[in-house]
Amino acid sequence: MISRRKLLATTAAATTLAAMGGTVALAQDGPIRIGMGMAMSGGLAAGGKAALLAYQIWAEEVNARGGLLGRQVELVTYDDQSNPSTVPGIYSKLIDVDGVDIVISGYATVPTAAAMPVIMQKRKLFLSLFALAANDQFNYDRYFQLQPNGPNAKVEFSKGYFELAMALPEKPKTVALVGADAEFSILALEGARENAEMHGLEIVYDQTYPPNTIDFASIVRTIKAAAPDLLYIGSYPPDSAGMIRAVHEAGFKAQMVGGGMIGLQFAGLKTQLGEMLNNVTYYDLYVPEPTMQFPGIDAFLVRYRERAAAAGVDPLGIYIPPFAYAEMQILERAVTEVGSLDDGALADFIRKTTFDTVVGQIAFGERGEWAAPRILTCQFQGIEGSGVEQFGEAGRQVILHPPEYKSGEHRHPFPASA
Amino acid sequence: MSSLSTPYVEDRRGGLPRTLVWLGLAAAIGVVLFTVLGRFNSEYAYLAAYGVLQYVVLATGWNILGGYAGYVNFGAAGFYALGVYGSVFLYKLFPDLPVPVMVLVAAGVGALFGLGMGYLTLRLRGVFFSIGTLALSVILHTVIVNWEFVGGARGAYIIRPEDAPFFSSYAAYLCALMFVLAVIAVAIARTVQHSWLGRGLAAIRDDETAAECSGVASLKLKLAATSLSGAVLAMAGAPFPFFITYVDPATAFSLTVAVNTIAMPVIGGMATWIGPVVGAVLIGSLQQLATVTISSSANLLIVGLLLVVFTSIAPFGIMGLLSRRRTVR
Repeated sequence: MISRRKLLATTAAATTLAAMGGTVALAQDGPIRIGMGMAMSGGLAAGGKAALLAYQIWAEEVNARGGLLGRQVELVTYDDQSNPSTVPGIYSKLIDVDGVDIVISGYATVPTAAAMPVIMQKRKLFLSLFALAANDQFNYDRYFQLQPNGPNAKVEFSKGYFELAMALPEKPKTVALVGADAEFSILALEGARENAEMHGLEIVYDQTYPPNTIDFASIVRTIKAAAPDLLYIGSYPPDSAGMIRAVHEAGFKAQMVGGGMIGLQFAGLKTQLGEMLNNVTYYDLYVPEPTMQFPGIDAFLVRYRERAAAAGVDPLGIYIPPFAYAEMQILERAVTEVGSLDDGALADFIRKTTFDTVVGQIAFGERGEWAAPRILTCQFQGIEGSGVEQFGEAGRQVILHPPEYKSGEHRHPFPASA
Repeated sequence: MSSLSTPYVEDRRGGLPRTLVWLGLAAAIGVVLFTVLGRFNSEYAYLAAYGVLQYVVLATGWNILGGYAGYVNFGAAGFYALGVYGSVFLYKLFPDLPVPVMVLVAAGVGALFGLGMGYLTLRLRGVFFSIGTLALSVILHTVIVNWEFVGGARGAYIIRPEDAPFFSSYAAYLCALMFVLAVIAVAIARTVQHSWLGRGLAAIRDDETAAECSGVASLKLKLAATSLSGAVLAMAGAPFPFFITYVDPATAFSLTVAVNTIAMPVIGGMATWIGPVVGAVLIGSLQQLATVTISSSANLLIVGLLLVVFTSIAPFGIMGLLSRRRTVR
């Protein structure tokens, strides 16, 4: 009985090995294969699909130009279902079984962190998209992250907000901090706390709410009772919308309202909230302002928007897709100039080089983060109605900080009509 | 109790020799499994097998209470997360502690939590009990989210060793550990099923009032079942932080774990120990296959469709279908 099983097992294993050998041999002569696990279903799918479209656009372009190192480029993608448990298996399969040449991360922090042990064990180059401080613990030298957080992400997300606040004609004295009990917002609030204390602001409200909260009226009324000069919010898309609505419904007034609010970068939420966004001061990574006209960005966005509706992704595509495209530009230049797919050589090149991309110049520093952070503090201005086109125009999401990208003047107080 | 045991006497035949046969069979399965996985020469095989084996433990653990006693526990993900965070807690205190020790501690904590949950909820019956277990899971989730020491809402990183002694890789080690846990879980489930405890639980499942009238100490038996079930469920979660290396509450209290843990015994058959094993191997393998082939949210769809099919045409699961065919013959 057992020997028959062993025979069967040996046959199955031999067949699989033969198939694997075939795949690997093919990979060396055939296309350059870039593998990733990407959220195409589940909670992170909106970001994952938009990133994937950017990768596909790049792959088509590079193939039309004759490919990389004379070989066509092929993307090998698996849906991680926004479930990190699937990620170690996916990356192991990509590297061991599919024999891909390059691996890149999926979308967001948790899947990226979950892939790290497999990647580190195989000593693969790992370009990562929008993972928050995922390499702080691992300190892996072949990891490079595209979100412009810099080495000290938590302080960067609120640095601009508080510097702007302290420059107001009527200097604020008090601040309220509120956010969701989840990874990003906790980090954003920790940074805000540090910045507030550094500027000598009194924190009059400092609370978090469970991630699935839907009613924010009572939270906002409590904050209103504390009458802060500033309101800093660390939130995810559903609660970003909930907080903005609740702030308007409660008639809340302050010198500044906004903060580390995820969701205000997406077309869906921008159009849903429309005029309620006026004078909200929030973080962003890229906005179509004259100070951010980098070579290639307009052409990329045109191509992206032509295909966004069919792909069912964010019609504006100004938050994640340009950075995903920039990631591929970095990879393209590294592979071309190094002249091989050697992970170590590529990592060395990326570490030492400053790259010109559609989101500006990128150089990597400590732990593979951007050497110099570039979190933008922006403000919605002149929003009328809920048309999506206006958010693709200059002057609607005005950059206030950092000063080198400043594109307009800070409007205060909040709300705009007050 | 003695009258209840009469129809089941044949199940206890053999005693120790029979146990040795089962242990030998488990060892043989282990040898074959690891020979096959080793031949793949890829960590992927171990990681995929880990996923399936983890569900064997979870489904088997859940079935001790849900299947044998008919008390549907919606808080399986809570127990699993208890094991996950038990390991995170121990890792923060003693980073070099071996994973099997963490598993033992998780089993102890799971058993205690199960006992506590039993005291709080077992006076409820049917849907009220199920909602009670769900509520306890939500409470546990809230505690973890606000407990900074284990990472709170931000999650916690676990830096695992690059390799493990006697194994080709750390993934192989984790897979072997999960196999041992699966064997232990199945051994517990089988022993319970064929003991006075299992017969008492079966009586409770059929009619609790009648069982009590016949002298079955229902609360005591149910408490034993919640403790054992809790221990096995928590045990399944303990190695997970070393598998994934970054744990946040959303991952540990995942809906996928909750759904699969209930769906697998339902599909496999809840009356015997083999049902959850069959369900977990079948659904777990199908999901692993779907992840790297059709690669879409079809994963949960597969579970959903199979649940609909099995609850309508085979309410006693695959094992129920098979035993019915045997009886008909």
